[in-house]
Amino acid sequence: MSGEAVARPMLILKDVHKFYGANEVLKGISLDVKEGELVTFVGPSGCGKTTLLRLIGGFTEISAGDIILDGKRINDLPPNLRDTRICFQNYALVPHMTVAENIGYGLRINGWPKGKIRARVNDLLEMVELQAFGDRMIDRLSGGQQQRVAFARAISLEPKVLLLDEPLSNLDANLRLIMREEIRKLQRRLNITTVFVTHDQFEAMAISDRLVVMRDGLIEQVGSPIEIYERPANRFIASFVGYVNFIDGRISLIDEATRNTFVETEYGRFEIALEQADIAAGDEVLIVVRPEAVTLSLDVGIKRPNVVCGTLKSYMYAGSLAKCTVEIGTMKMIIDQYNPSEAHHFKQAEQVAVEIPHRVHLLKKKKQA
Amino acid sequence: MAPAELSLKLKAGSGNRVKDFLNANLVNILAALLFFLLALFLLYPIIAVLVKSIRGPSGFTLEYYRTFFAKNYYYRSLFNTLLLGAINTVVCLVIGFCLAYMTTRGPYPLRKPLKVISLVPLIAPPYLFALSLIILFGRNGLVTRMFDLHWQLYGFAGVVISQTLAFIPLAYMMLENTLMSLNPNLEESAYDMGASEATILRTITIPLMAPGLLKAALLIFVMTIAEFGNAAILAGRTPFLAPDTYTMITGESDFNMGSVLSVVLIAPCIIIFFVHNYLLEGKKFTTIGGKPVASEPRKITPVIKVPLIIVTTAATGAILICFAVVLAASFYKILGVTDKFILANYLDFTSNQAIANSIRVSFIAAAIGAVIGVLLAYVIVRGKFFGRSFIEMASLSGFALPGTVLGIGYLLAFSAEPLKLTGGIMILALNCVFRFLAVGVEAGISKLHQINIEIEEASADLGASFLTTFYRIVLPIMFPAFIAGFIYTFMTAIVSLSAVVFLVSPGFQLAAVKIFDAAVYGEIGIASATTIKLILIVMLCLAVLNYVTKKTRLGSGLKQPVA
Ligand SMILES: Nc1ncnc2c1ncn2[C@@H]1O[C@H](COP(=O)(O)OP(=O)(O)OP(=O)(O)O)[C@@H](O)[C@H]1O
Ligand SMILES: [Mg+2]
Repeated sequence: MSGEAVARPMLILKDVHKFYGANEVLKGISLDVKEGELVTFVGPSGCGKTTLLRLIGGFTEISAGDIILDGKRINDLPPNLRDTRICFQNYALVPHMTVAENIGYGLRINGWPKGKIRARVNDLLEMVELQAFGDRMIDRLSGGQQQRVAFARAISLEPKVLLLDEPLSNLDANLRLIMREEIRKLQRRLNITTVFVTHDQFEAMAISDRLVVMRDGLIEQVGSPIEIYERPANRFIASFVGYVNFIDGRISLIDEATRNTFVETEYGRFEIALEQADIAAGDEVLIVVRPEAVTLSLDVGIKRPNVVCGTLKSYMYAGSLAKCTVEIGTMKMIIDQYNPSEAHHFKQAEQVAVEIPHRVHLLKKKKQA
Repeated sequence: MAPAELSLKLKAGSGNRVKDFLNANLVNILAALLFFLLALFLLYPIIAVLVKSIRGPSGFTLEYYRTFFAKNYYYRSLFNTLLLGAINTVVCLVIGFCLAYMTTRGPYPLRKPLKVISLVPLIAPPYLFALSLIILFGRNGLVTRMFDLHWQLYGFAGVVISQTLAFIPLAYMMLENTLMSLNPNLEESAYDMGASEATILRTITIPLMAPGLLKAALLIFVMTIAEFGNAAILAGRTPFLAPDTYTMITGESDFNMGSVLSVVLIAPCIIIFFVHNYLLEGKKFTTIGGKPVASEPRKITPVIKVPLIIVTTAATGAILICFAVVLAASFYKILGVTDKFILANYLDFTSNQAIANSIRVSFIAAAIGAVIGVLLAYVIVRGKFFGRSFIEMASLSGFALPGTVLGIGYLLAFSAEPLKLTGGIMILALNCVFRFLAVGVEAGISKLHQINIEIEEASADLGASFLTTFYRIVLPIMFPAFIAGFIYTFMTAIVSLSAVVFLVSPGFQLAAVKIFDAAVYGEIGIASATTIKLILIVMLCLAVLNYVTKKTRLGSGLKQPVA
């Protein structure tokens, strides 16, 4: 990251390691989270996301490295003395307390006077739109409502950093969309520095200022959602955020003036606008083709640049888009055709023309050692 | 198994009317038969006790109850028993909670050893603790002589201490179970908000545990007031209901008063049973799903840590010391009085004879108990007939009833023709069968719940008769449950004392009764050696069970028997 940072870093992770016995779960995580920023950790199950959150929250002892909160090293502080607040995946609401009591728990523990607690709880209830539910017991709430209570409780004491561990994973699809917008809205409004964990790539892209892709206890790439999606650093990231088709190829020519590049593949030559600086002629590359970037047509006869022909193997109409599989030589390419009702309805086994866009991402293949 | 075989069986059997009827109604016939057995060997003895308590030489009378409530002595007996139950319950809960807290929330390296020590008393007869207290603090006890003390072990304090130690495993198991089932994130959330350990305990952990605590409290209360061995050995002149019943029968042959005492002993059990059902109705705190996570250790503040460490060290230390002194005492005539190391206690003829008898009785009981248990389990799980839940309750109730009551009940019910069984070996075995029926039934039920009823139905669809299905499909699957039921019943029966103590005849001694007698008469060496032998037998059983479980993956769902 280049230093365009305006806001100061609120949370700094410095080469954080965690061992469970001999098992190294975090293998050196370093990251600055700026004040008011929402940073999301994504990664496959077991890559250490929860462990990292628990470490920041103080529930798990750090094996090596430093955690710095607002300029102070907090490695050895227990959770009750850290100004971080965690929201667990299962909400961890106290079943024998009402909604208001749950939200006011932290205030009570910290010795707020009764009147102030009531006022603050009312504000919070309003903020998460649960004004009418203050006296309900927790088990009389829907999942989404419980989620709001957990969120309200977590922000009740205005922590410096909010930690959210897969907060939406217990909700059904529609509610997830609504809740993630609400969380984002409140987070922006209150300007709370937030570390969000999820293994849903789309949720991660939708909600975050920055994304951190993790694998096996290591950070693979840090960047804005657009950077991660459009310019993934490697094959793992490319296929982790959304579906992707890869085409093997080799750079035969780079026009240094226009950055126009020819990539030779077994399906012919593709002309691509090169954006990366680290790719030179002769390099083995992967062309990263997202399913929605491809244009499908019936113009099989005409020879055009970046167009290859194939056979439509399957065509699944799903309203807003149609999912197509096209067989090109030995490759099966997945293509999303948007607004399919307006476009052509393709038939199975039809010959189709597939157009790869001029601007696509190239991944340089690692040299086999 | 080949479907062809199944249908062949059917063809061979069809055409025969009796057989068809049997096939169609076998579950019901089985249920009726089992119902009859339960009525005869479980209900009838209890009713006999009830009847005896209200029937004098000239018919119905409440005279005996009047006596009970008129005599100061009985009052004290009742009061002592209830007080013992109350103190025991509180102390056991506190110790059990500390142990469970340490093994679920404490530092990792301590969790396993503390758990093992907490459960160790399960392999020994509960009256081991009475014995070890005599060895340590009795008139000639090690500690008594070392410090030249003049105290009185026999009495209320002795009983409370031995009972407490004996019921630590039960309290521990129940509370550990409750603590394990709590979502650790709840406590962590409170911690995260700034709560201290003590605040977390007060506002989160203990309120969440309330239903579990209540359940444990009631069960421990019921089981301690009914427990016979420790009280009978250590009570001295202090009256308690269970041992008083025994003296009433064996000393004074007063069956009427014995029955009254028994009824008074059952009464709290029944009251508590209903209180329990009433209080726990709908009192289940549900938490939202998610992966169950083991609690990571927290930094515990000294205010909590110090008492925790003191209690757990004292409790586990006491348990270990008790086992150690009984082991040591088994090699001396009287440990601390005679200092010649001997093996004579292990070679003692009457002791070995008693062990052999115990093995015989327990073996018969286990065989019958396992068969009836498996059949009952089948009928309870698969049957669809009126009175099914009654059968279930009856078969599980033997466990909760005070042993003394079933002891007297059997004496009353089976001492006259045509049901004369007293003086024989069968009355001992049958008593054990029906007292510990729950053990086999539980094993069977948990196994049956793993079998898909579809397998049975598929077999029936293929034309197999009920008998064939049961024989070829159900029995092989149930076999591990049978083995588990057999071993558990065997283990439980061989150490049990409270009922058989009424039923042994002079010529046929049992190990548990032998230990009891030896402890009472001060033959500490013999009592200890016999106890050690019983422990070894139980350990052997556990090893076999462990092996079978591993082989057949019988899995969890089986509860440790506690008696
Ligand atoms: N208390 C623990 N003791 C030992 N190993 C642990 C413990 N907690 C987590 N692990 C291990 O650490 C690794 C990372 O676990 P973690 O829960 O952080 O993964 P995650 O990225 O949150 O996965 P998920 O997406 O499934 O929630 C896993 O391999 C897990 O087995
Ligand atoms: Mg996780």
